[in-house]
Amino acid sequence: MDFSINPYTELGVALNATQQEIKDKYHQISKRLHPDKNQSKGALVQFQSVNMAYEILSDPRRREQYDNAVRNMDRAEKSDFVLRLTSSKRYVYPFNEPQVVYLYAEIFTEESGTQKAQQREREAKLNLTLVLDRSNSMSGTRLDRVKAAANQIIDQLSDNDYLSIISFNDFAEVVINSTSLDNRAMLKARVSMINASGGTEILKGLSLGATQNRIHQGHDFVNHLILITDGNTFGDQDQCITLAQQLILEGVSISAMGIGHEWNDEFLDELTSITGSNAEFIMNPNTVQRFLNDHVRSLANTFAERITISIAPYADVKLESAFKLSPRPHPLSKDESVIRLGNLQHHKLTSVIFQLELPGDMKVGFRSLARIAVAGDILDNGFRHYQTSSEISIGVNNDSNAEEPPANVMDALNKLTLYRMQERAKEALERGDTQEATRRLENLATRLFEHGHEELAQQALAEARQVANTNTLSENGRKTLKYGTQALLLDSGTTKL
Amino acid sequence: MVTCPYCAFNNKEGLLFCEDCGRQLDAKDPSATLPTRKVDENFDNFAMRATWGTARFENSSAVVLHIRDTTTPITFIPTEQTILGRLDNSSPVQPDLDLTPFGALDKGVSRVHASVFRNEDTLMLMDKGSANGTHLNGQKLIPHQPRVLRNGDEIRLGKLIAHIYFKSSVGI
Repeated sequence: MDFSINPYTELGVALNATQQEIKDKYHQISKRLHPDKNQSKGALVQFQSVNMAYEILSDPRRREQYDNAVRNMDRAEKSDFVLRLTSSKRYVYPFNEPQVVYLYAEIFTEESGTQKAQQREREAKLNLTLVLDRSNSMSGTRLDRVKAAANQIIDQLSDNDYLSIISFNDFAEVVINSTSLDNRAMLKARVSMINASGGTEILKGLSLGATQNRIHQGHDFVNHLILITDGNTFGDQDQCITLAQQLILEGVSISAMGIGHEWNDEFLDELTSITGSNAEFIMNPNTVQRFLNDHVRSLANTFAERITISIAPYADVKLESAFKLSPRPHPLSKDESVIRLGNLQHHKLTSVIFQLELPGDMKVGFRSLARIAVAGDILDNGFRHYQTSSEISIGVNNDSNAEEPPANVMDALNKLTLYRMQERAKEALERGDTQEATRRLENLATRLFEHGHEELAQQALAEARQVANTNTLSENGRKTLKYGTQALLLDSGTTKL
Repeated sequence: MVTCPYCAFNNKEGLLFCEDCGRQLDAKDPSATLPTRKVDENFDNFAMRATWGTARFENSSAVVLHIRDTTTPITFIPTEQTILGRLDNSSPVQPDLDLTPFGALDKGVSRVHASVFRNEDTLMLMDKGSANGTHLNGQKLIPHQPRVLRNGDEIRLGKLIAHIYFKSSVGI
């Protein structure tokens, strides 16, 4: 029996629903999600799971089988994750023009106090691979810091974890073969022997890293690869992307840390977002240790892996953008049928904000906006696929008294606007509209000052001048603004649970 | 549509922050939705500039420029780009509005000083890289960067001070 979906939650019916109720509900949902009616990619994926649910529940024999199997399963110790949806407004006015509504999706774990205590002792087991750039540009402080950070990771990992370390320049070599952590001194000695020379070919490092990671790959492990680099790779980017796509199917995620300002942020963002992870910008090599440390700690705190979210806006609603707010803020692709969100941590919120466009001239009354499904693999004693879904409705009425959107949504959007402003400045620059780009950067600087982010504001102002004089952004400034405005979102989007 | 009360950018209904300048769009702010205020015919009343006027500039509106220490206001309809400056036959570009009669030379107005132009339903002011700079309500403009003009704004070209008013019906 397949427990990857819960047919009752999938159709939104009670456990004792009659056949007629199930049938009606199925018709209602499938009408909205049917590929003939709904072109969004998310709808297709959800349509399939709804059909699967209906196949189980519409057949009394299969329904009974399912019910019995669930009853026999020891549900007491199991905990799942929960999806909660909030819209920026509960009521909207039926304008005769399209309007925007924000949808805030929160995913969190549902664990009791005793489970909390148990969890302290039982961290997720890691199968970690570090892929370290040792090209010439890394020599000196950068490589020293990275080596120190790797040493710290060796100390930090627990005895059940597996670690492998690869170093690469134009070639890749194994520094530590995938191993458990019984002889830490020996591992550290190996790390200390890494020295810098040559160029940067990320594909070589990544493929060798993948080979090492596969040695101890397992469903009950958090299989993860961390790439640390400071340079740009040429000609092998497409192959790297293909490799990442293959790795996520095997259950391996990739994150990246870029040191300095010469690395290709667009490439690393794409590479890591395929696996639901992200790239981080490390301007000062002294902070690499802290970044890596935090990162590995959050991996060990994993509750569920490979979290995906799919959104099916109903026919006349348009999805305009998606942005992940927490735990690590970064933009999401709105064109994927399922959007990967990486890991869900114990007692940490994963949240996403969607911007939807509603049509003009809506009928007064209640209406559905979208259906959202979240799936992931829960890591408790082995692994278990779990999926949950929810629908969001909104009221349309003529006397919608202006209510303030929830404070956390407001705060997140406020900061998201800053991120968007630097994106728009870049777009203007790409179009060759220098004046527009300058104006946008100056606007951004003003807003940043107002919010008290003086350093970022100064940077934005400096970039505005840079653009006015040279028609280009400095690499360092561009990355600082991009990752800096993203990082502003770090403390927002987290609500009290 | 929600018009940003600060920069007059037209945002989609339901947005909470201006897409252009990033400020919060507060639906309760009256200046965002109020229609054009009728221009006070008495231009000697300088107290007007203490209150913020509307930024909305209708298609049929004309601009009334009241230069300080002069008696007759100048009324003109802004074209694609109305250049304010000082007529000088040696200059390749001639201003659309010559400020020489108002002591432009003494007051440091450049030949091509600033320009005024329409932007959908707002009026914009842009410094054209003048020698002495253009000020809007006491704030110096960055050259070649347009700013929205509001009814009653004070502009300063070099040392020449003028007030801008919007006249909604064209009756010249």
